[in-house]
Formats: sequence, structure tokens, C-alpha cells
Amino acid sequence: VSGSADAEAVPQRSWEQLARGAARGADAGGETHALRQLLTFVVGGAAYAVSVEAVREIVRIRPITPIPRVIDAVRGVIALRGEIIQVIDLRLRLGLPAAEPTRASRIVVVHVDDGRVAGILVDAVREVLRVAEEAIGPPSGGDAVVVEALCARGNEFVSLIDLERVLDIDAEH
Amino acid sequence: VAARRSSPRRRARRSSKADREFVSEAEEILESMRGDVLDLCDQRDAGREIDPDLVNRLFRSAHSLKALAGMFRFDPIEDLAHRLEDILDGLRLGRVGLVPEILGLIEESVHTFAALLEEVGDPDAMAAAGEAIVDLSARIGRATQAPAPPADEFGSLDLEPSLLRALTEYEEHRLRENIRRGRQIVLVDATFEIISFEEGLSELSRSLREAGEVLSTLPAPGEAPESQINFSLLAAIDTNVDDLAARLDFPSATVRSVLAGRGGAGAPAGARAAAAVPSRPAAVPSEPAAVPSEPAGVPSEPAGAGPEIAGEPEDVAAHDAEPPHGPGLSELESLKSLSDTVRVDIRKLDELMNLVGELVIQRGAIGELVGRLSASPETARLASEFGKVHKALDRKLRELQSAVLDVRMVPLRQVFEKISRVVRRMRRDLGKDVRLEIRGADTELDKLIVEALVDPLMHVVRNALDHAIEPPEERLAAGKDAVGRVVVEALQRGNHVVIAVSDDGRGIDSAAVRAKAESAGLVAPSESLSEKEILDLIFAPGISTRGEVTETSGRGVGMDVVRSNLTALGGVVDVDSTPGRGTMISMTLPITLAIIQSLIVGVARQRFAIPLNSVLETLLIEPAEIQRSEGRELLNLRGEPLLLRRLAQDFRLEGKAAEKPCVIVMGIGDQRIGLIVDRLEGQQDTVIKPIQGPIQSVRGIAGATDLGDQDPVLVLDVSALVEDAIRRREVA
Repeated sequence: VSGSADAEAVPQRSWEQLARGAARGADAGGETHALRQLLTFVVGGAAYAVSVEAVREIVRIRPITPIPRVIDAVRGVIALRGEIIQVIDLRLRLGLPAAEPTRASRIVVVHVDDGRVAGILVDAVREVLRVAEEAIGPPSGGDAVVVEALCARGNEFVSLIDLERVLDIDAEH
Repeated sequence: VAARRSSPRRRARRSSKADREFVSEAEEILESMRGDVLDLCDQRDAGREIDPDLVNRLFRSAHSLKALAGMFRFDPIEDLAHRLEDILDGLRLGRVGLVPEILGLIEESVHTFAALLEEVGDPDAMAAAGEAIVDLSARIGRATQAPAPPADEFGSLDLEPSLLRALTEYEEHRLRENIRRGRQIVLVDATFEIISFEEGLSELSRSLREAGEVLSTLPAPGEAPESQINFSLLAAIDTNVDDLAARLDFPSATVRSVLAGRGGAGAPAGARAAAAVPSRPAAVPSEPAAVPSEPAGVPSEPAGAGPEIAGEPEDVAAHDAEPPHGPGLSELESLKSLSDTVRVDIRKLDELMNLVGELVIQRGAIGELVGRLSASPETARLASEFGKVHKALDRKLRELQSAVLDVRMVPLRQVFEKISRVVRRMRRDLGKDVRLEIRGADTELDKLIVEALVDPLMHVVRNALDHAIEPPEERLAAGKDAVGRVVVEALQRGNHVVIAVSDDGRGIDSAAVRAKAESAGLVAPSESLSEKEILDLIFAPGISTRGEVTETSGRGVGMDVVRSNLTALGGVVDVDSTPGRGTMISMTLPITLAIIQSLIVGVARQRFAIPLNSVLETLLIEPAEIQRSEGRELLNLRGEPLLLRRLAQDFRLEGKAAEKPCVIVMGIGDQRIGLIVDRLEGQQDTVIKPIQGPIQSVRGIAGATDLGDQDPVLVLDVSALVEDAIRRREVA
């Protein structure tokens, strides 16, 4: 959890640089195996991650306006430099019990390939992890909802989140 | 022509707004024509096939210029444009070849237009110019004498004769060209859902165009299943049939070869290119009679083309050299633009608008600071000076805001012009005589709204012509004028613009609409509905997208789409119809979407913004004043019943309700309801932003706005709330 402050300090541009650096590293020769950069964070005591390329920025918790008539996992909207962005509570999306945000909570603003943008509410942001492609394997059970892969880090497993699936939400409840 | 080149003195005389508008639009058309003519010369110089799109674009430009000049009554320009249109029409139909004489005439016409534009605003000079172009017109007339139509050469095609007969002259020409070039000709049959056929069709055409050229798109004969429609596309392709079928990836499309390509179907690209070479000399569609000097053989063609083309620029230069100022000066002058207009990408205006919006938010924050400073005695004096500066800033900001808004406003004229063009064409296609009247073309609206309005408006007008206006015999039998009438009228009402399309056709058969609604399960047979409520059903999705209602009710496909398009713009659409007398569809739209005044209200712990242009009044009431009828809550508003809705209930907001509720009387079009909220929190300038994220839309919410403090505020979609309340719709 101590890494969260550092992650917070990384401005948006650097994320892009990191992403580009990761892309360069992959085809720079020298190493034969590709490296992937993952942003790891904590939800309900477990480690999760998304590709750094998908991360636009990380912001501190701020007032969230609830949207009526939608499922609870969509906590509401935040204003970010003139943009209005929906915030998804990853706890609820993972089927965990709801919890009030704390000082360590962060909103990870992500964008997926089709241009959709969303904020993902997590308990805390940890660090950027560089892992070899070989270290990433399929998820444990067949019941994985939004986890697309597992990545071994020492003796801990980090679950890689499939953002497309996280954002795939049936509108009204 | 050259002697009448404008001097600065004359330019200053051209002052009327209409003249300036004309010159600015005509220049834009002319600019694109110049570019196209240059491309045409290039293609010809390179001995390449002349791109039919290029000729078509030039033809359309000449056509637009003609229409524009006609509208502003510049007869010489209109006449010449008409002549030019003749040449280009001949060219695109293959009646005349792109020989130096024709190319020269096209260039001369474009130059003459440029010269004529400088005379706009000087009627005498214009009249003189009219005489001067007679000679040019006559030369064009001689050059475009149509040769005898070619004998039927499509016998070798495996095509229905009825399909061949349906081809236009242009399509026949393109077919001929492609056969000559040895391309494979195929017929693609496809079936689409009526609701979405435009999308599917354009997708299919796009894929076909990647493989070659779409020669004709025809509605296919034969029975289509209910709610589906068949199309046949005749295309010329470079690949073989199987490759094409695989590439199309349309389950409903079947591809059939009509004529095998000369290069051999599926031959490798290199072989095909080689096969195409022998046919190249004819690429410049040269009519032997028109170009006796044009050599026919491949090797001699480039040599022959050289000197001829070289002669062209000289010809042009001779024109430019004529002005008395001498060539140097005239060249400088001709580069200068005639109008003072700048055309700007609308996105740049959006950015500007966003910046202004953010400034407005900052201004609010400063106002709050002033308030806090004046509360303390130590800073009160500073606060009052600060307050003055704030007020001045406020005033300038408002001016800036309205100036930016003003830039975005455009008259509806262009949209109405488009409509009358479509009506003219439909009149010809349908064989119906309909008079179109247009009123209020000067009414201004935000450019974005105007753009978004084109399709729904066109749809409504098309429906009126297609279905509402009866055939002449039927009209005469009903005691009406044989010529139908459709009126498109725009007028401003406060912060809204109303655009009404009315016809004197057969009106809507409400019994048929009701029957349809019942069979679609939208209305219970026992339910009693007013005439108005029944008419409103034409906008319901299940009804208007079915084909049968079209014939019986006179209102067609896609009225639900019209409604949803308008709702997206914050507008509403209403219908009024009298059987046998006619129908009126009226669309009410806000003047601008950019910055709007909103009323901020509080419900439970949340705030909402309501666009002020839909708020009629606000009332503070005692709970005892609320009356009930059939489970609905009502308020007696000066003798009229006002239907009430509770926002807390609609949005399931928990919290203690206020002791004295506020009622926001809001309406759109001619419908109104009272919305019960807990508190009024004042008015604010708001910039409505879309909500980004996985949830695409929430009924009742139009967007959100950042007021610069705390959390963002959701903006209510008044038309959806009013509609739901009146239709008694309970959401989930």
C-alpha cells in the first residue's frame, strides 16, 4: 500500500511515456521475451492489475454524484477537468461487499479500445509491475467474471482485469 | 470580361448582406471547381482513366452554382452555370469526350464565373456581362450536340430486361465503360430489415466499392418477407465472384456473375493490369467525330497529348493577361478573396464554447469569494472594490458568451434549400404534383442543431409527399385542388424555434393507428385514449416501423427515430391531424445547446439542474393543496389541473421530504407537468456535458454539468420526464 503515494504522483503524461516505453521494450531486440507493464491495485485485500496502456490517470477520491435508476456497481459520476465520467465500484463488480471509500481509495481512469472512458474505484493503488508474458497464465476457475488472467509475482498471484468486461454493464436494474 | 475586373472602388459598393452571402457561397463552390478542373487536366495529361467521381463532383458544383445564382437572381451566372452543367452532364454520360475543346470551355466557364462574381452588386455590369457570355454559351451549345444514342449492346449480359430498363443513362454509360475495360460485372442481391436498411445498404455499397465500382442500386422486385426489403446492386469488380462473396461478409447477400471479366476472373493483379493495357487509348472517351486529330494508338498518345495540353495553359494565360492593370497586378488581385467571410470548423467553435463555459464557472467561484470577503469587517472595503471588478468581468463575460453563441447561429435557409431540392426530385420520381411552400428561412439556430435537424426534417417532409398527399384523382374526388400542398415553416418563440411541416393530404387514420397499437400490445383494447393520445402513438417504436400503417394511416416508417433524434437535441415533436384535411408535425427545438441557464433544485441529498427554457414557473405549496385522482397527484393551477410527479419517487431518492414542497411547472411543446422537489437552490449558467462511461443513457437524465463546486450535477431530461408522466409510464 505504501506505493500508492508514488503512483499518485505520476502525472498523466508519464503514464503515456511508461506505456510507450513498454511498447518499445517489447521490440527492442536484446530480450527475446516481451515484457508487459501492469498497474497493480488492491481491492478487498487482494491484488489486481490492468495494463498500463489502458490507464489514463489516477485521481484521489472526490465527491461522486449518484446516478438514479442504474445498478449499484455504477457509483455515479465525477467531474474531471470539464469531463463527466462514470465511476464503477470494482468491489461490487467483483461481487465483494460494499465498503465506504477511505483516504487510500483511488479512482483509476481507464480507456478501452472502443474509446469508452470510465473511472474504476479501488481500495488503493500499489505499483507498476513489469512482467514477462510467460508469467501470465489463464485464470484459476471457469467461473472468472472479470478476471482474464493470473500473473505470478513471487508467491502472490495478481489477477489481471478484463476492462471490456468490467465496462460491460446492463444499463438499468 | 477582363475590362470589367473589379477595382477596390467597385468592391466597396457591394454592400448588401444578400450579395455578400451569395459571393461567399459561390466562391466556395468555385474554389472546389478550380481544384477539380486542375485534377481533370492532370488525369488527362497522365493519360489516365477519367475518374467519374471527379466529373460528377464538377457536375454537382455547377448544379449548386446554378441553384444558388437562381435563388439570388443573378441571371447571367445562372445561365452560364446551366450551360456548364450541360457539358458536364454530357461528359459524365459519355455523350461528349474530354477533348481539348471541351476542357477549354470548362476552364473558360470557371474563369468567367470568377470575373462575374466581381460584378455582383453592380446591376449594370452584370447586365453587360450577360450579353458577353452569349457567345460562350453558343460555343458550348455547339460543342455539346449529342450524338445518336448507341445501339443496345447489353445483349451479352445475363440480366433481366426489366433491370436493364431501370438503369439511368448515366448508369448505362458506366456499365458500358466497365465492360469496355474488361471488368467482371456482378449482380449482388441482398435483403435488409426495413428499419435499418439504410445502414446495411451503405455498408454493403462501401464493401463493394473497395472491390470495384457500384454501377446501380435498385430496389429488387419480388416478395420480401414482412419488415424486410430487397435490393439489387449492379457492380463492376476486379476480383472474382467467390473472393467478393467471401469479402462481403453479408449473410443475406448473394453474388451472381453477369459478365465474366476479360482478364479472366480471379486472375492475379499483374495479369489483369497487363490485360487492361490494350484498352487504354480509349480511356479518354474520345468521340472520333469530335477529335479527328486524336491518335488512336497507344504509343502515339502521350506524344499527341503533349502539345495539345501545353496549348491549354496558354489559352488561360491569355485571359488573365487582358486586364488593363497588367498581368502582375491582376494576378495579385485574383488571388485575393472577394468576401470577408471565414469558414470555421464547428469543433473549433466548440472548443471556444468550452473555454467560455469554464470561464463562466470561474466567474461563479470569484463571486463566491467576493461574498466571503464582504462578510468580514476587515475585508469589507476590499470586497466592495473586488465586487466592482467582478461585476465588470461578469458583463464582459456575458458579451463574450453571446458573441460566441452568435457565431454559431446559422439561418435555416440552407436546410430548407436542401429540402426543396429533394422535393423537386421526389415530385419527378413519384409523379405527384406538390407545391412546397417555405416560410421563415431566416430563422436562426445553432449550427449543430441545424446539422442534426436535417435528417429528421427531411424524413417528415418525405413522409408528407410519399404518403400523406393523395394522387390527383383522389384529391379531385375529395373536392381538393389537384395539386397537393406542403408547407415548411420556421418561427422563433422565445428560446425555442418551432419548425412545422403541414400538408393538406389525407390525414392520419387514427383507427388504424390504434388497431396497430393494440396488435403490437402497446395499448389494451379496453383503454380509453383521447384522439391526441392515439395520434401520439405514431411515435412509438412498435408502430411506425411497420410497413402496413404506412399505407393506411399515411404516416410512415421511422417516426420513432424522428422523435428520438429530436429528444437528443432537447426538443420535442408533436402531431396534429384531421382526417381528410391534413396533418401537421411540429418540432420544437432549443436555439442553442451550448450554454444554458438552469434552475438548480435539491431533492433529498442530491442536486439536479433543470434547463430554464423548459421551466414555466415555480410554486411553493402546502402539502394539503395536493389532490388525488386515479392514483395520480394533481394541483389546481388557476383552475386547470396540473399533473404532479415527485422526483424523489421517480429516482428513488431516500431522505426526509421538505415540509413545504416546491413545484416546478415545466413544459415542452404543449404539454406540461409539475415536478415536486424539496428545495430551490438558484439559477446558474450551465454547460451540459455528456456522461462518459459504460451506461449509455438513463431515462430522464440529459447529461451532467460541473458547477465548479463539489460534485457534478445531473441535468434532467425534461421532455422524457413530461412524456413519462403523461403516458403514466412507470420505469422499472
